[in-house]
This record gives sequence, structure tokens and C-alpha cells, in this order.
Amino acid sequence: MNCQETQVEIPLYVYGEISSDVEELVEAHLENCQDCGRELSRQRTFLHAVDQREDLTDAALLTACRADLHRAVHTVAPAPKPWPGWFAGLREFSAMHIPFRVPVGAMALVLLGWLGAHYTPERFGGARAGVAEPMFSSVRSVQPDASGGVQIAVDDVQRHVVSGSLRDPRIQALLVSAVREETNPGVRVESIGVLQKSADSDEIRNALIDAITHDPNATVRLKAIEGLKQYGGDATVRKAMANVLLKDDDPGVRVKAIDLLTTHHDDSIVSVLQDVVQKEDNSYIRTRTRNLLETMKASVGTY
Amino acid sequence: MYEAAETVSAGVPVALPLESVEAELIRAAQNGDGDAFERLVRLYDQSVLRIAINLLRSPDEARDVYQEAFLKVYKNLSSFRFDCSFHTWLYRIVTNICLDHLRRRKVRKEESTVVQTEDGLVDRISRVAEEHPTGDPERQMWNRQLSGRISLALDALTPRERTVFELRHYEGLRLRAIGEMIGTSEEAAKNCLFRATHKMRVSLETFI
Repeated sequence: MNCQETQVEIPLYVYGEISSDVEELVEAHLENCQDCGRELSRQRTFLHAVDQREDLTDAALLTACRADLHRAVHTVAPAPKPWPGWFAGLREFSAMHIPFRVPVGAMALVLLGWLGAHYTPERFGGARAGVAEPMFSSVRSVQPDASGGVQIAVDDVQRHVVSGSLRDPRIQALLVSAVREETNPGVRVESIGVLQKSADSDEIRNALIDAITHDPNATVRLKAIEGLKQYGGDATVRKAMANVLLKDDDPGVRVKAIDLLTTHHDDSIVSVLQDVVQKEDNSYIRTRTRNLLETMKASVGTY
Repeated sequence: MYEAAETVSAGVPVALPLESVEAELIRAAQNGDGDAFERLVRLYDQSVLRIAINLLRSPDEARDVYQEAFLKVYKNLSSFRFDCSFHTWLYRIVTNICLDHLRRRKVRKEESTVVQTEDGLVDRISRVAEEHPTGDPERQMWNRQLSGRISLALDALTPRERTVFELRHYEGLRLRAIGEMIGTSEEAAKNCLFRATHKMRVSLETFI
């Protein structure tokens, strides 16, 4: 990388917003080029000067805004919840306090079953059907056959409820699988919440570390860090936290990571913490990291 | 139930409830719990106000943005499905409202908050905020002038460049997240930041 190319990268390099490959090239060039070193220093001086802008946040204004909002919320109705579907609708109905709702509901179900069994056409399985229809189907292949018909390969997924103790390995395996694979982030958060209360196996710890490292949803990552609190002294967990501190996009997640790292002192992460002090943009996190280094009696900068 | 929720000056939630995370507050608010909604607001409202006032340099407009943003959240929370983080969703709403204000301002060619005084260029808004100046008077004057220059340099950016610079430089958000908030790619956000820092540096070159 030559001087011109390096100087083009410097504005984004100081923000840590270039790829690690380019970053290495820039750093290699900076080690041997005084001109580019001076340019880097000028860019940092400029950014430091920009920091001198006055922050106009004002507590009185915040209080006034909160009061405005409080008043406004009482005059505005939230949008209605989307129709939850027939099943959820029935569930809501069942939760209502109507006298005799249990016997009435039971009678309605018996009647519904009788009507379903007698009036469903036989070609759809009507009265003959012995098992419930699958709830989800996906077509895997479609192939015309010689008779002019068609052969369709279908994967059926049937929903059913599994219940058991949190100590049951099958339940734990399902929860770990939900943490790793479920597409709904709400389910991932709930699964982590249950797992953190129930167990302390390596598999669970690894699933939580995976969630912290790879889950795209910040709320899930926050919950996973909470779940790893009990493993605060574990070297793998601490390494993962240090990684979060360096790479996670979300300042809230980085704050949680530093909370966990503060619980145990471990010299192996000192260099990472020093790196964070240099590169972190959020002043609160920088201060927390600096305090942690000082508590560990480590130097704040690298020399 | 949610008493542990707090924020710090940086606007980052630092002591989220142990048993009930943000998702639980959202669910409770979705089910009509006004108290949960208020606590959810308080997790983020300092950051929202800070972004609005620093981007728009106008307390009145910032107050409007605050109200409009949280009312939008209130009205639409029932359709929030956790497809992205709440924080991203909220910041997207706030930055879009601020961008609209900045664009309208460009169209109306509103007067800048920066004025030429006998002390040099000064941001009127900063002056209002500085009620009890302390310390070295020369330093204060220099700071005021620098603040005025910075505001002028920020005024010269396009609304999008200004928003990206504010969120990256002052709020410390990553460009990937900023791109998501303003509905553009990480690469486009990078280009915006590059242009913004270049323009700012040229504007401030003689002053620094």
C-alpha cells in the first residue's frame, strides 16, 4: 500500500471502520512512513477538536419532554393488535370470566368434533381420519409421472407440546436447539432465560457463547451474556466477552460484557482491554475499561 | 418488576433488570401496560433527545422530535415483532424524523444558529446553554468560537452526511447499524462519513 492509498483509508481507519485486511496493510505502512504517521496524527487532532462541540442536552428539557409525552399518550390510542388468529382468539375467549364457560366450552368442543367427523367429505379423510392433519408442509420436489399425474415429495411438520423437567436432557437439548436455530428472536430470548436458570453444562455454555458471537439480535445477545454470568471465571467465556467488547456493534451489549469481565480479574485479557481503551468510541465504555485496567493494576496504554 | 432499569449519561442501559429484559417490557407494553411503556421510554429517551438536539441545534424542534418519535412507537408497538432490536427500530424512527426536519430546513433555507459576533463566530444555542461560565475566560472564548465553527461546518453538510457523522462520531454507533437506521448500505454510510469528515476538516483546517 502506498502513501496515497493509505491516506484515503485514514479517515475510516481512525473509526475502526475498515476491514481487518486493509487495516493490517495501513498499519504496516504507518510503521515505516512518517508522512502518513503525521497525517494520521492530524486526523486525530481534527477529530479531537470536533469533540469540543458543546453537548446541548439539558435536564429541564428532558423533564418537559417527558411531561409532554405523558399527556399525549393519554389522548392517543395505540394501534390495535393484529388479529392473533382463530386459535389465539379462542384462547383469549377461554380466559374471559364468563359464568359456566367451562361446561359451555366443553359442550361446544364436543359439538364441533361431532360436526367435523360427520360432515367432512370422506375423500379428505372425514370420518375415517385417525390422526390430526400436519400443521406445516413444504414441497421438496415435484415430478410428473407416466400416467399423466404428478408425484410430490412433501415434508410435513407436526406441532406438538413437549413438557418435562428443566433437568431433563431432552428438554435441555430442545432449548439449546431453539437458541441456535429458532428464527424468532423472542423464542431465543425465552429459551436462554430458561436455560440460565436450569443448568451448567458445557453444551449450554457453548450455545450461549455462540449466541453472543453470532446472534444478529442485540436483545438475544444481552440475554445470553446474562446467562453466562455464572461462568464469569471461565477462560473461554472471558475470551468471548473480550471479543464482544472489541467487535459488537451495540453499546448496550458491550457494557454488559464489561460488567461480566469486572467480576473476575484475569491478566490474559489485559492487552484486549488496552486495545478497547484505544479504539472504543463510547466514552462511558472507555472509562469503565480504563477503571477495570486500573483495578487490575495494569497500564492503561500499550507502550 | 422492572425497577432495576437505569440509564447513564451516554444513554447506554447499564443495569438492565436481571429477570426482565427489554423484551419483557416491550411485551408488557404491547399488552397495554402503560407503566412498562414509560419505563421502556426511559431506557432510551436521554439518547433520543441528545441525538435530536445535537442534530437540529434547536431545543424546540428536539422537543417535537422526542414527542413524535415516542408517539409513533406507542401507536405501532403492537406490530413490533422483534425482527430487529428495539433500539435499532427506535433510532430508525428518530433519525428519519430528524432527517425530515433537516431537509425541510434546507428547503426553507433557515437561518443558521451560528452568528458573527465581536468574539468571532458563535453558536447562539451554545451561548444560551452556557449560563454559568467558569474557568479561564480566554479558553471559554476560544471554546465558543470553536463550537461556532463546528456548528457552521456541520450546517454545510447534507442532511444525510450530518446524520451519519452525528451517529458515528458523537454517538459511537457502528456504520452497519447506522446504514440500517437510515435505510442504506454499510458501504453508502462509509462514503457518507468519508465525505462528511473531509468537508468538516476542510472547514476547520485554518482554525485547528
